[in-house]
Amino acid sequence: MASTIFRSLQVQPFLLYPTTLLRRRNGVFQFTTKATQSQAETQQRQPQSKVSTSTQSKKLDKIPKDYEAIIGIETHVQLSTLTKAFCGCPYSYGSPPNSSICPICMGLPGALPVLNSKVIEFAVKLGLALNCNLAFNSKFDRKQYFYPDLPKGYQISQFDVPIATAGFLDVDIPVEFGGGHKRFGITRVHMEEDAGKLLHAENGNYSQVDLNRAGVPLLEIVSEPDMRNGIEAAEYAAELQRLVRYLGVSNGNMQEGSLRCDVNVSIRPIGQSKFGTKVEIKNLNSFSSVGRAIDFEISRQVQLHSQGQEDQIVQETRLWEEGSQRTITMRKKEGLADYRYFPEPDLPAVILSQEYVDGIKNSLPELPEIKRRRYEQMGLSMQDVLFLANDKNIAEFFEATLAKGADPKLVANWIMSDIAAFMKNEKLTINEIKLTPEELSELIASIKGGTISGKIGKEILFELLAKGGTVKEIIEKKDLVQIVDPVEIETMVDKVIAENPKQLEQYRGGKTKLQGFFAGQVMKLSKGKANPGLLNKILLEKLNSKS
Amino acid sequence: MSSKGLLRGASVSANAVWHRSSFFPKVTVSVHRKLFKFRSFSSTATTCSSLQPPDLPRLAKTAQISLTPNEVEEIAPKIQQVIDWLGQLQSVDLESVEPSIRAETENNLRENAPETFDHRDGMIASVPSYEEPYIKVPRVLSMD
Repeated sequence: MASTIFRSLQVQPFLLYPTTLLRRRNGVFQFTTKATQSQAETQQRQPQSKVSTSTQSKKLDKIPKDYEAIIGIETHVQLSTLTKAFCGCPYSYGSPPNSSICPICMGLPGALPVLNSKVIEFAVKLGLALNCNLAFNSKFDRKQYFYPDLPKGYQISQFDVPIATAGFLDVDIPVEFGGGHKRFGITRVHMEEDAGKLLHAENGNYSQVDLNRAGVPLLEIVSEPDMRNGIEAAEYAAELQRLVRYLGVSNGNMQEGSLRCDVNVSIRPIGQSKFGTKVEIKNLNSFSSVGRAIDFEISRQVQLHSQGQEDQIVQETRLWEEGSQRTITMRKKEGLADYRYFPEPDLPAVILSQEYVDGIKNSLPELPEIKRRRYEQMGLSMQDVLFLANDKNIAEFFEATLAKGADPKLVANWIMSDIAAFMKNEKLTINEIKLTPEELSELIASIKGGTISGKIGKEILFELLAKGGTVKEIIEKKDLVQIVDPVEIETMVDKVIAENPKQLEQYRGGKTKLQGFFAGQVMKLSKGKANPGLLNKILLEKLNSKS
Repeated sequence: MSSKGLLRGASVSANAVWHRSSFFPKVTVSVHRKLFKFRSFSSTATTCSSLQPPDLPRLAKTAQISLTPNEVEEIAPKIQQVIDWLGQLQSVDLESVEPSIRAETENNLRENAPETFDHRDGMIASVPSYEEPYIKVPRVLSMD
């Protein structure tokens, strides 16, 4: 087993903020590690007693403290090349079954695979982005087993010489789970092909095979067993999704199956160097399932251990059952599978040149991690940083607005509040809204310069989002220029005061809160254009002077 | 005859012996040794040593071919002959030879351009059991 970065668990009292990510279950006790800024330091163990809000027995409260969980994740990423790995069949999710097939991906006798050049390019891209060592000479191997969705009786994969090894991924833990940075090791990245889809008929003793997906290129990413709990694992997976989307190598949709995660979970008493029995969990369809399944499995193993039944933890594959929120046994396999790997004789070696690799390295976009650090330095809060850098398109919009000279904090506020709300309501992406970065920048400048008030700005924004246009046009068309002439405001204030003698009396009598009423009336009169600061200054003078 | 020809023309069981690591260059990096450790046939001796006889029932099981005890008795020596014949490679001294992955020096790649296969109907027609639009297979739940 590759050496692991050993981190002893620093157990934090269970943070009592409500989360939908973690759910309490009988016997389950979730704990979070507090991330530190420096990953190299081993963390101090703090034997703090926990505060439990559940009705569990006090005994369960002590359990997680004594154990640490060792978690590793294997991720399969379906590449968004136009064609399959070894033949020219196009692939698109949702096509009619068996509509995109040929002798090669069907594994018919005599057909020979020819590697799609895009697959190498995407593999090198991802390997570089994960800070890996690239194998300038690698090969394909046959992984042999019989299954109805595997037409050739073997999968073309890479066994002992993968295209990339020994990398790492830097991750930011979300603010609500403690925040902080973590680095997770990547053992390897290799190229392989996907199998077809196997569907089990409701009734009857037969199944159905759709080979549209057979031969689609995959990259398998194996992590070092560096995660220690469900949150770290879920965030690792989310960062991989962000990364493959940023790079444009995959759309990373877990629902579509273009990003699949299998996790391996084992526990051991703190201080023990030997690893515990590893359990694999499959059927994880979302990042939150990843987190919940791991937390459940940790507690299951911890419970068995603490009851002296650790021999009941066997090396097996378990399925995550979303409905009942637990892992269940699949049929236990005896011994390891013998895949009889040997080098794929039908394919030549994969040879990379330094020029090729350098070319790709120079064309890499700014990676999410770097972007986050850069945004942090602009003075944005972590919450803002994580939101803006999460989606490449939003980051681009943000940066385009900045390029026009707007202040980062203001732009961030607009994007995260009004614009995000609009996108959510209308179910639009940032590329689909009619607002352009130039106009957002113009809007911010107009407010800053005093041409319009903040409130008017929001109205203009809404119109820009829905219909487009320019800020200047809308201001003109709707006559929204802020009134900053004190004489004009004074006139209106006088009018409002004259029309509301009763409230004036009450104000003079002591109800100073009525200032708000007068301000509102002036605003109404000015159709919202009066400058609030000036208005209140003049109003206060007038209200107080006559007393 | 190229090694490729041997693989393609030979029987399934003969093909199965290709997995034996002893056929790989002796200057195997420790990675190879580690990765093949679960195979019982790996030999690290530098001199020509006799290779272990094949576990024919296991070979047959992994190839999903059923053999009667008579057939096992009959076939085992034949496979042994093939192994011995290939085992001649072991007498080559590879101490000073760098392990190589393949003999080629160039990639053979294809453009990422879609091509539709013309005779889909012919392929579908040759599927033994096809129930539009799926290939019908016996119900299998696990790889065992």
